[in-house]
Amino acid sequence: MPRGRVGVRTDLEEVFRGHYPRVVAVAARVLGSRDQAEDVAQDVFLSFGRSAVPADEAGGWLTVAATHTALNLLRSGRRRSAREELADDGPTVAPDVADLVVTREERSAVRAALARLPHKQAAALVLRHSGLSYVEVAAALDLSPGSVGTTVRRAELHLLEELNRHASPE
Amino acid sequence: MRHPSEGILRRLVDEPAGVPDDDRAHVASCPTCLRALESARADAQLVGSALGTSREADVDTDAAWARFSAAAPAAPAFRPAPAASRRSWRTAVRRPAVAALSAVVLLTGAGVAAANDWLPIFETESVEPVEITAGDLVQVPDLSAYGDLQITEEPNPEQVADAATARERTGLDVPEVTELPAGVTGEPTYQAAGIVSATFTFSAAKAAEAAAAEGEDLPPVPDGLDGSSLRLQAGPGVAAMWAQPSGVPTLVVARVGAPTVDASGGVQFETVKEYLLSLPGLPPELAAQLEDLSQDGGTLPLPVPAELVTTSEAEVDGATATVLTSRNGLFAGVVWVEDGVMTGVAGTLSADELLSVARGLR
Repeated sequence: MPRGRVGVRTDLEEVFRGHYPRVVAVAARVLGSRDQAEDVAQDVFLSFGRSAVPADEAGGWLTVAATHTALNLLRSGRRRSAREELADDGPTVAPDVADLVVTREERSAVRAALARLPHKQAAALVLRHSGLSYVEVAAALDLSPGSVGTTVRRAELHLLEELNRHASPE
Repeated sequence: MRHPSEGILRRLVDEPAGVPDDDRAHVASCPTCLRALESARADAQLVGSALGTSREADVDTDAAWARFSAAAPAAPAFRPAPAASRRSWRTAVRRPAVAALSAVVLLTGAGVAAANDWLPIFETESVEPVEITAGDLVQVPDLSAYGDLQITEEPNPEQVADAATARERTGLDVPEVTELPAGVTGEPTYQAAGIVSATFTFSAAKAAEAAAAEGEDLPPVPDGLDGSSLRLQAGPGVAAMWAQPSGVPTLVVARVGAPTVDASGGVQFETVKEYLLSLPGLPPELAAQLEDLSQDGGTLPLPVPAELVTTSEAEVDGATATVLTSRNGLFAGVVWVEDGVMTGVAGTLSADELLSVARGLR
């Protein structure tokens, strides 16, 4: 057992350390908030710790689990208010104040659009942009490999539509 | 030749090798397809940057591991109604999604922990699988936003020395396995938990606030609903768990008092249920399933994550049982309800092995 109380799997710490940053990044892609993404990652590793998923399949499993969990949180309407999010997550790059506002508004629009996509479409989009191959995405979501491209493309078009709508002047 | 579909063009952006040669050859010489490919590529880049967030390197993995090690429970495989003991309905409704992501938790808990957390508002006489995604689970409205939830009785789950102690604490017999399947050895550990009770009091004012926060209007509140209460109860529960030396559970046998509900304040339970089902945030497809399932108020829709598990039915000593099998073939579970008591058998075994354990229980 690696550490006293966390003793469900002997490889847990190694898997945790090896995959944690990536799992946070996957959840943050969905939620746009680092703090929430870290909460999701903690939950996901807790589930992993209780599972018998082989360590060499952990990367894919964790990515899929983080995507579903984060999308669920996003869609549950139980996220913190937009103001709280602004307080804890600065943008990666902040050239000036005007850009900053646009970036935040866009990020918020992306999340709103993600939340409105059908779960499978949103999951396919996030998994693909998290680096899973088409075959892996297909296996994770019970899609045929041939339909992954179509699902991802539609999700992207939908997201961009929402963003453009958001960006155009009233 | 016909133009390749938008899906094929999209794959060409990411994985050209995954696209058939014919399609690639066509695109290379077709101005229309080349334009569409460029547009797909540009869109993919735009979306990639829109989804982009802070850099991975910023994450403090040491601190995260410290937090994780401190928070992880010692014996997580069976946790009768754990969320309620945290005095937070919010936690309670979130937990099943996490549970659902882990086939082990779902199956070794025989779905009971998840069911307790998720749908204590339906009196249970039989288990009926509902095909839902993990996403549906957490979209059940956070009831604390719609009123007050008070835990009136704590289950105090704990590991106990033996089956006799478990029985003494709960009044439930731990189902006795007559013949252990191959690969399951040693002595089990025993868990016991008492009854958890809670009272949910609906508040129209709070519900209106919650709906406004989602940008929606609260559906008209039926007469008498404001201030009316539901008394929710689940448990007690007992379980025996066999594990490999590594701690990975191989077999869990559990028995739990099925969740029940009483309405008070002169309101019919059906009225409360239907109103809760109509609240903003509940996915329409799930609402429809619940509508179908709970007409007679006697079924427990078992949350089954469709992506992970397939379900079927089997007979166990005259009762109809739900058989859950993980798609990766690693886990299975069998769960059934008799006289208001849910019994579940689950583990890293095949469904056939588990059915024979289930049928051999004493």
